[in-house]
Amino acid sequence: MSDFWIIVKKELKDLLRDKGLIFGIIVVPLLIYPALGQMMQIGFQQAQEETKIVLVNFDEGDYGSLLIKTLEAAPNVTVTTIEALNLDEALKKAQEEDYNMIVVISKDFSKAIESNQKAQVEIYGIVKGISGGMRESVSEGRVNAVLTVINDYLAKLKIQQSIEGNPDAILRPIDAKSYTVIKGRIVPVPPSLVANIITSQSISMPLVIFVMIIIVAQMSAGSMAMEKENKTLETLLTLPVKRITIVAGKMIGTATIGIIAAVAYMIGMRNYLGSMMSSSGEIGISLEDLGLIATPQGAILFVIIMFLAITFALSFAMLLAVFAEDTKSANTIVSAGIMPMVFPTFILMFADIETLPLAIKYILLALPFSHPILASRAMLMGQYSSMYVSVLYLGILSTVTLLITARFFTTEKLLTAKLRFRRKR
Amino acid sequence: MSAVKVEALEKDYGKVKALKGISFEIKEGEIFGLIGPNGAGKSTTLKILATLLTPTGGRAEVFGHDVVKDGDEVRKLISYLPEEAGAYKNLKGIEYLQFMAKLYAKTGKSYEEMLEVGVKLSGLESRLNDKVSTYSKGMTRKLLLARALMVEPKLAILDEPASGLDIINAYSIRQTIKQFAKEKGITFLVSSHNMLEVEFLCDRVALINEGVIVETGTPKELKEKYEAENLEEVFMSIVGGQQKVGVFG
Ligand SMILES: Nc1ncnc2c1ncn2[C@@H]1O[C@H](COP(=O)(O)OP(=O)(O)O)[C@@H](O)[C@H]1O
Ligand SMILES: [Mg+2]
Repeated sequence: MSDFWIIVKKELKDLLRDKGLIFGIIVVPLLIYPALGQMMQIGFQQAQEETKIVLVNFDEGDYGSLLIKTLEAAPNVTVTTIEALNLDEALKKAQEEDYNMIVVISKDFSKAIESNQKAQVEIYGIVKGISGGMRESVSEGRVNAVLTVINDYLAKLKIQQSIEGNPDAILRPIDAKSYTVIKGRIVPVPPSLVANIITSQSISMPLVIFVMIIIVAQMSAGSMAMEKENKTLETLLTLPVKRITIVAGKMIGTATIGIIAAVAYMIGMRNYLGSMMSSSGEIGISLEDLGLIATPQGAILFVIIMFLAITFALSFAMLLAVFAEDTKSANTIVSAGIMPMVFPTFILMFADIETLPLAIKYILLALPFSHPILASRAMLMGQYSSMYVSVLYLGILSTVTLLITARFFTTEKLLTAKLRFRRKR
Repeated sequence: MSAVKVEALEKDYGKVKALKGISFEIKEGEIFGLIGPNGAGKSTTLKILATLLTPTGGRAEVFGHDVVKDGDEVRKLISYLPEEAGAYKNLKGIEYLQFMAKLYAKTGKSYEEMLEVGVKLSGLESRLNDKVSTYSKGMTRKLLLARALMVEPKLAILDEPASGLDIINAYSIRQTIKQFAKEKGITFLVSSHNMLEVEFLCDRVALINEGVIVETGTPKELKEKYEAENLEEVFMSIVGGQQKVGVFG
């Protein structure tokens, strides 16, 4: 086995046996996020419970009964019709017996419809605190849905009685069909929907990259700082191993764990989002359906860009860790050093880089972590030339950083820098 | 060829002058002691020879290799035990020795031989299968000493090897060092602030005080020269007059 793999193996063993670390970066995201999701789910389920309606009918005609029958037929709705002389009485009854909706059909309801006037229905939702109104809004939605159906039905009926022709066409004379053109292909999906899908994608990608970069950077700096804290660094640096091998071994070791952690985080996050999505109804269209598929060339370029960005994050974090005396200060220094490079890229969540002012555009392009985000889009849109530029830029940047870091490892800075740092404060 | 050659070595930490131009030579197979009070510059000298620090002035060679220019070559010949050191907490004692043996295996003896020697030297027996985080300070020190010696370097640089050990363990360490020097021809550079301990152990010593080497020779020579009972008295008669003794002085 080469020195490199011996060091990687030791790094993995040392990290994987750290219960606190494993718990924090792998178990927590895998368990906590789904648990959070479950909690949201329970909230939704409660909201989906039966809508219990107290119905007070002051109308004596047929249309009042039609509304009642339709409500009764609606799913998840139970209707209790009560005899009440006024609203107060109905309210009292509803509150006593855990109803969450009151529907009041006004006196001349049928008469108004028959004489082509507007008829009145009043809907009261009873909010009982804790649930935050979610249940009431669901219930109101159900009643409104029933009313829309009846409205439609009655309108068509009236049209049929008075005019010739297709009542639907008269009610809604214009029928709009929306298509979207992507990469020169026509897709029968409204642009608003496509925009939604692309937006959700363009928000989740930066988040994923952000999480990955931060975890990986913190871990590699932490493992360096740990060597200082546990006083193993001096011994390590006198072993018959090239310094660049030590740096590289550490980077690969921590990157492996960092990426496992990032994947755990993403799986956890996905389950969390997933359990929210499923209850709020999915759009049911994927990027593939829209023809936004990465070709092998695009995918390979993206992986290279991702790899280079992580390499940069790792070596930069190790460089910062040179100045840390223990794991705590390593965390602080890395956050202070990496965050400013990551946060600006969040602009890309909401904006297209080409539409930004020139100065901002170039600042973003100078930041290494913009490139994976841009690449994730360029890959789907098949814009490979910009990806090659990213590969070139990140390649140079991470090589230079790596060399500087390795250079620091061959000097005594690693052992004495913390003292300089302390003095400066 | 001498194992170690130090010429006019200087080291500044910012304004602190830790070494003010020291020179000494160690012959191959010798046990050489660098002795002096706390803050004299012993650890600094050893760290420079172990390629951890860069001297501000002068030069140092290990078996003819410059410690600054040929760091990689020097590291293949030495094994360094820091004054304050730990082992990887989440590894078991045996895994720590295995890790080290693998890295040194190409420089001389085989992996299995090293490991066997290391296990024996540590004296930790079944505790080697426990994580280092469960060890006492003394146990960790023994593990680190075992790893420093098991690799059988050409030059072993040990900074206060017996620090934190009880007299029984300190004694057995001294015996091991003597045995390794005699049987395996390993050269030792040992630092200590305990002059008596060094007297038993070392073939030759250098007395260092405030970054200056004030005397070099065999313990016997020095005792005769200064008509002293032991090295402690030698040291006091050399620096006694001028010594600032801190709060006591
Ligand atoms: N990293 C450092 N930064 C600043 N001064 C230091 C550093 N290390 C040691 N010194 C100073 O250098 C001098 C020699 O220290 P050292 O070599 O550790 O002495 P010894 O090992 O003989 O006790 C002391 O005055 C000490 O305070
Ligand atoms: Mg010391």
